Amino acid sequence: MASFSSTHCRSYSHSYSYSSSTNGGQNQRFAFSSSFPRLPVPAKAKVFLQSQRNSHQNAVLMQDGAVATKANPVEKETPLKKLKDELLSATSSDEWDEKAGFDINGNESTVSITVVGASGDLAKKKIFPALFALYYEDCLPKHFTIYGYARSKMTDAELRNMVSKTLTCRIDKRENCVEKMDQFLKRCFYHSGQYDSEENFSQLDKKLKEHEDGRVSNRLFYLSIPPNIFIDAVKCASLSASSGNGWTRVIVEKPFGRDSESSAALTKALKQYLDEDQIFRIDHYLGKELVENLSVLRFSNLIFEPLWSRQYIRNVQLIFSEDFGTEGRGGYFDHYGIIRDIMQNHLLQILALFAMETPVSLDAEDIRNEKVKVLRSMRPLQLEDVVIGQYKSHTKGGVTYPAYTDDKTVPKDSLTPTFAAAALFIDNARWDGVPFLMKAGKALHNKRAEIRVQFRHVPGHLYNRNFGTDIDRATNELVIRVQPDEAIYLKINNKVPGLGMRLDRSNLNLHYAARYSKEIPDAYERLLLDAIEGERRLFIRSDELDAAWSLFTPVLKELEEKKIIPEYYPYGSRGPVGAHYLAAKYNVRWGDLGVDQ
Amino acid sequence: MDGRPSAKGINSKEEEVSFDFSDSEEVQSTLSITVVGASGDLAKKKIFPALFALYYEDCLPENFMIFGYARSKLTDEELRNMISGTLTCRIDKRENCEDKMEQFLKRCFYHSGQYNSEENFAELDMKLKEKEGGKLSNRLFYLSIPPNIFVDVVRCASLKASSANGWTRVIVEKPFGRDSESSAELTRSLKQYLTEDQIFRIDHYLGKELVENLSVLRFSNLVFEPLWSRNYIRNVQLIFSEDFGTEGRGGYFDHYGIIRDIMQNHLLQILALFAMETPVSLDAEDIRNEKVKVLRSMRPLQLEDVIVGQYKGHSKGGKTYQGYTDDTTVPNNSLTPTFAAAALFINNARWDGVPFLMKAGKALHTKRAEIRVQFRHVPGNLFKRNFGTDLDKATNELVLRVQPDEAIYLKINNKVPGLGMRLDRSDLNLLYRARYPREIPDAYERLLLDAIAGERRLFIRSDELDAAWSLFTPLLKDLEDKKIAPELYPYGSRGPVGAHYLAAKYNVRWGDLSGEES
Repeated sequence: MASFSSTHCRSYSHSYSYSSSTNGGQNQRFAFSSSFPRLPVPAKAKVFLQSQRNSHQNAVLMQDGAVATKANPVEKETPLKKLKDELLSATSSDEWDEKAGFDINGNESTVSITVVGASGDLAKKKIFPALFALYYEDCLPKHFTIYGYARSKMTDAELRNMVSKTLTCRIDKRENCVEKMDQFLKRCFYHSGQYDSEENFSQLDKKLKEHEDGRVSNRLFYLSIPPNIFIDAVKCASLSASSGNGWTRVIVEKPFGRDSESSAALTKALKQYLDEDQIFRIDHYLGKELVENLSVLRFSNLIFEPLWSRQYIRNVQLIFSEDFGTEGRGGYFDHYGIIRDIMQNHLLQILALFAMETPVSLDAEDIRNEKVKVLRSMRPLQLEDVVIGQYKSHTKGGVTYPAYTDDKTVPKDSLTPTFAAAALFIDNARWDGVPFLMKAGKALHNKRAEIRVQFRHVPGHLYNRNFGTDIDRATNELVIRVQPDEAIYLKINNKVPGLGMRLDRSNLNLHYAARYSKEIPDAYERLLLDAIEGERRLFIRSDELDAAWSLFTPVLKELEEKKIIPEYYPYGSRGPVGAHYLAAKYNVRWGDLGVDQ
Repeated sequence: MDGRPSAKGINSKEEEVSFDFSDSEEVQSTLSITVVGASGDLAKKKIFPALFALYYEDCLPENFMIFGYARSKLTDEELRNMISGTLTCRIDKRENCEDKMEQFLKRCFYHSGQYNSEENFAELDMKLKEKEGGKLSNRLFYLSIPPNIFVDVVRCASLKASSANGWTRVIVEKPFGRDSESSAELTRSLKQYLTEDQIFRIDHYLGKELVENLSVLRFSNLVFEPLWSRNYIRNVQLIFSEDFGTEGRGGYFDHYGIIRDIMQNHLLQILALFAMETPVSLDAEDIRNEKVKVLRSMRPLQLEDVIVGQYKGHSKGGKTYQGYTDDTTVPNNSLTPTFAAAALFINNARWDGVPFLMKAGKALHTKRAEIRVQFRHVPGNLFKRNFGTDLDKATNELVLRVQPDEAIYLKINNKVPGLGMRLDRSDLNLLYRARYPREIPDAYERLLLDAIAGERRLFIRSDELDAAWSLFTPLLKDLEDKKIAPELYPYGSRGPVGAHYLAAKYNVRWGDLSGEES
């Protein structure tokens, strides 16, 4: 088995990989190295630039095939291009040799990343560490600047201090981490301002201009702030701190409204100041390694696609659980609840990716078109297909875990669900009648996110006759464990070795930790990089968002209007039993709560 | 699922006759197992250990005895010594092994006699009767002797030592002739003395755990059967290799060669199990009917679809390995193949056009037996558009490793974790050692138990044998008539390169020699 030792960053992979398929495809070895100028580059290893938009570049390595790369398609305003401007001229040559890449320096470009809400939790825990990881991996363009923006008064040094203290990223143990960190921190600055002050944003603009130093300026704003100030910040940033000659993009995170209307209003408001192209709605689940791999599994293996339909799949389960509650920070959550917080976005996005038809290509628009089709083929969720729960306090081993309503930031009479299970259906030719079950909850017995595909029973099962047991229950199951401890496994029936004829279920296993020694990058790294490159595949388009809301809005309204009382479940338990009854209604058995999970 | 593995677990009508069930206690039955050729290698290394393992596992009926029969003069005690001296079975390290062994040895006896002497067998019969003590008597003869005396022994045993009131069964091992004619002749001779029901032709590969599991995989999992046809399978490879040569015992082998020794029986049997249609039930006759259908749908092998090889001497690291013809028991001018590769085709609706490649050889670089199923390319592979590489080469592959180190794995294309989009092949793995801590029983245990239970699923029926021979006989004759010279390959190598050219002819790439293989 091959091993991959060096770092791979999309932005540069085109320049590092080369083909070594001269030995007839056997014993394929490849070398990726950041010292590429010294690498022998076969003449045929060329890099192609196409003028197509929105496509990304890839390098593929097949162990018994050749290595090839195709760089992509750079859209006019991507920083990737600017980034390459160090390598080639800005004139859009269609094709060039790698060697050509070094002797040019046209209009250099810069990227400034402004983290709005820099003192917040997400910024500290995810965004800055992800940016540093990208920097460490050489994935950021040469000229970049990072600005923290928030209301608190802070100096640059204080921000740097804060960033360096909370940087607990996957890079920590690598060599040169400290040096790299110093260099990185030198690029970090802070600007204090109000979120609704155009004046403060103009000041920021000035500072940014200084750093950009006349180069082409690309600006990425990451809104790590509460939703009620999204619009203010977007307005100010757009009016007073947009790039004059490059692109300006804004990353927003959920919540995107709390129902169809408020979401539409938000979109409308954003679009007063931004084009659809400029809005990057992040769903960080789409950046998870195994969610990314879902399409690879389906579309690059022969053996899965024939099975991927109602003909063979009995049901699909999308499961998310956390083993902690709101822990004193329930204020935001209480306003939304688990359905909006997890199901309507993360789980539904995964469902759409799972169930979509084969797209025309892997381009963002093609994939998002297929996802929208799935969402639009779905029945809006019915109240009777939903079970909601809320955790109550529980004492175990002397420790008392608080109930949801014990959280001081949560109203005592809150009916907000902290758990929900739902059955959804896609009324199209591929999935008619196949239940897609979702389950999400806080304060459960474990922390996990996984996709489970349960296959139908074997028709005319030969072994049934010999056993009398109901082996129809022991169907095949494909499990994609997104977190923790990434893995893919297929449960198969197997003969227990020995003289008798006994069957049991075994796993055909792929355990990432065992197979891939490299750490898996955080979802935010991938998503930030994509946003910088203008790759929109993993971001939510507004029509996707609309379709997603229209599936959930009626049921959310009904839950609230009818004041449906959640089923209580103890903190740390497996959730309300109602979820089992919901599953039973559709003849499904939850895969994660079986004895042999 | 079912309870403990035991003779009772393998149900069959005969069971009721051969075992005393608590609800039918009228007559107690006895079982005597006579190992004819008791002093031979197979008996010592495989049969006695397997019998002991069955005894240890409580799989033998209550009243059983074991008789060794051979020409050498031995006492019971000497036989017991021989057995206990060579018993290196999987049970060795379990508790009570010694106690059990003593009890087992007490049930072992020896009778010396000629293989063609009816008189000697009559003496054996008397001894057996004595021990049976008037109980219902079932007798199993295991012929662990050279093929030229099969018929003599069967005649004597059948005429003089058959059970009067129970069943009499005879287990025979390959070779079953060396071509269609001699095989038919052997069958005809055996049938003078035995009915088809009494003949248990063993192919010990069918007793291997993963070969047994092949049907389970196919028929108890939804995910495989839809893929099991020409629509999705590009080719199937059946690979057998040994990492040693004849090592001074080539006399028998030279008369047969690798094709007869491995391909025509072991590999072909696995192929038939792999490719058969779903049987009506798991009963022996239903399965064997389906296997025969596969064999009869196959094209007889053509000379141009076969590569033969023979190993030559090779020095490596100061050590010299002998060539095949250096073996003193082998003629110096022998053309007998020690390696062969062949492409076979099944002309039925399911498999039309799918090459089934076989490869078997001695003195190669590894010791292994495996089945490899290579799937077709992904039609309209999306990732190809972005990559430009020939992803078609990186197809899915299902590997069943029969030995050593039993495993099942499925090669899939996967995204390499990281920020880029790179694909590689990973395995969905099931390594038996990791999943099942229990030792896996030897194939002979299973087969002996089946013969005792009258379960014929894993034994070869005569029409299967005929069909198997008619596929190979024309080719074997051709090879011998035309004195086709084998391609020589060094001892310990990967075999003659001709195998690659044969594969290339059918657009196949051997899965075991692809470089990524471990």
